Amino acid sequence: MDYLEFMFAGFAVFWAGLFVYLLMLQMRIRSLQQEVERLEERLAEQEAGDRRTTEARPVAGGRPAAPATRQSPAPRT
Amino acid sequence: MTAGLASLAARAYGLRWRVLPPLTGVAMLAMLIGAVLAAPREVIEGEVQRLMYIHVPSATIGMYGSIGVVFVASAMVLWKRDMRWDAVARGAATVGVLFTALTLLTGAIWGRPVWGVYWAWDARLTSTLVLFLIYCGYLLIRQIADPHDEQTARYAAVFAMIGALDIPLINMSVRWWNTLHPQPIVVRPLGDEALPTEMLIVLLVGTVAISLLVAWLIVLRTETELAAQRIHGLRAGVDRREAS
Amino acid sequence: MSETMAVFRKDLRLAWRDRSAWLSAAAFAAITVLTYSFAFDLATQDVRPLLPGVLWTTFLFAGILANGQSFQREAEQGTLDAMLLSPVSPTAIYVGKVLTNVVGLLTVEVAVLLLATILFGTTLLTLELSLIVFVGTIGYVSLTTLLATLGSRARARAVLLPVLALPLLVPMLIAAVRATGASLGDPVGTAPWMLLLVVFAMWTSIGGALLFPMVTER
Repeated sequence: MDYLEFMFAGFAVFWAGLFVYLLMLQMRIRSLQQEVERLEERLAEQEAGDRRTTEARPVAGGRPAAPATRQSPAPRT
Repeated sequence: MTAGLASLAARAYGLRWRVLPPLTGVAMLAMLIGAVLAAPREVIEGEVQRLMYIHVPSATIGMYGSIGVVFVASAMVLWKRDMRWDAVARGAATVGVLFTALTLLTGAIWGRPVWGVYWAWDARLTSTLVLFLIYCGYLLIRQIADPHDEQTARYAAVFAMIGALDIPLINMSVRWWNTLHPQPIVVRPLGDEALPTEMLIVLLVGTVAISLLVAWLIVLRTETELAAQRIHGLRAGVDRREAS
Repeated sequence: MSETMAVFRKDLRLAWRDRSAWLSAAAFAAITVLTYSFAFDLATQDVRPLLPGVLWTTFLFAGILANGQSFQREAEQGTLDAMLLSPVSPTAIYVGKVLTNVVGLLTVEVAVLLLATILFGTTLLTLELSLIVFVGTIGYVSLTTLLATLGSRARARAVLLPVLALPLLVPMLIAAVRATGASLGDPVGTAPWMLLLVVFAMWTSIGGALLFPMVTER
């Protein structure tokens, strides 16, 4: 009347559940990392685009707001 | 006084990555050794009774503790209108679903040899199942709607609070409902006979271990959701720049 | 109070103009009773042990159906947002909506009870049973109205509503079925089912009236 197999099954289910949870958490973190990479790429593209327009028009008096908007999200990355 | 306490709490929270993982690891190891090797073999139920050391803390700390966190965080979402509390509620809810499922599963595996069935329509089992369904409903709201929408967060908070307040009513109704049916198996309430001291010590170790594990998992999940919120904010900023 | 009545009258008029939701709920309820009588062979057996369960599941599903339709309409037209911009208090809006839904569902329920009385030859329209149905419906509708109205604003989907509402309604369903069984003369034990129904109705209506403004204000 020991039911050792049931005891092992219970502990195995516990650890398996924990493992599956951590796996799902890791998937979530990976998707967030990919999102960060995509954002970095887009930001780099935008910055390259900004540089081209300022080079084409050295006296870009019409866009004083551009550097300010770039500043705001940059420190948080 | 309160400012000192707040700074103390903030400093303690700053140490979470250094303190929680090693402590949780040691406690879990102690629990495993205690449950499988150190605790005495139960006379009637045999080895399978060792499941108690993970089953009972999973139910008390993992399930009801997480509900408590979800309830408080949901109240804060409605009161303070701060989406950071929403991240806490979501983190605690996912951990709560995990431990409710683990409680049901380990309970079923424990019940098969001892009661002869995996599932009985016992009051406690039934109310736990209803609780599991409510938790799943909460996560469904989050899954289907936009996770960063504030209206959705408030809706989920209302649902979580009503669900938590419903638990006593569910427990009472299910208990009354069940007393009318013939009970094939009598569930032995744990508090009925005093546990031997060795078993009590191991159970205490298990409770500490599961508490640490739950705290660590909730912190992990919450910080992930917070990071997701910040990334969402960043993306909105990049989108705006692209549009202009 | 007068605000609530104004909202109630306006919602009632809207519900009357758009009768299709409640009419289809009533038709659905009738068909459900019929389906049950085929499935459980209610025509030939003693129906009394099964009747409370048949009646209350029918009420629940019909109510969920009607609520889902108003949910859809709300989400498409955004009438709630327009109402929240008006100076009417959110509590009055909530109570008015609950009253409207209670009237609609009670109408359907009375029709079902009449139908079941004829089909099963059991007198169902007694004072005791009417009281049970009334209290149960208030508790039930307070909860589903809260979930449906806020859910349509949160852009959740209508299919979600039964999944969210039914686990929360477990106490009300158990108590209502038992109390109905007791009024039909079934042996259902001595638990105070009516008290549980009243407590459930009170906490859902008070909780809804408190939470609804907390979510929608500002």
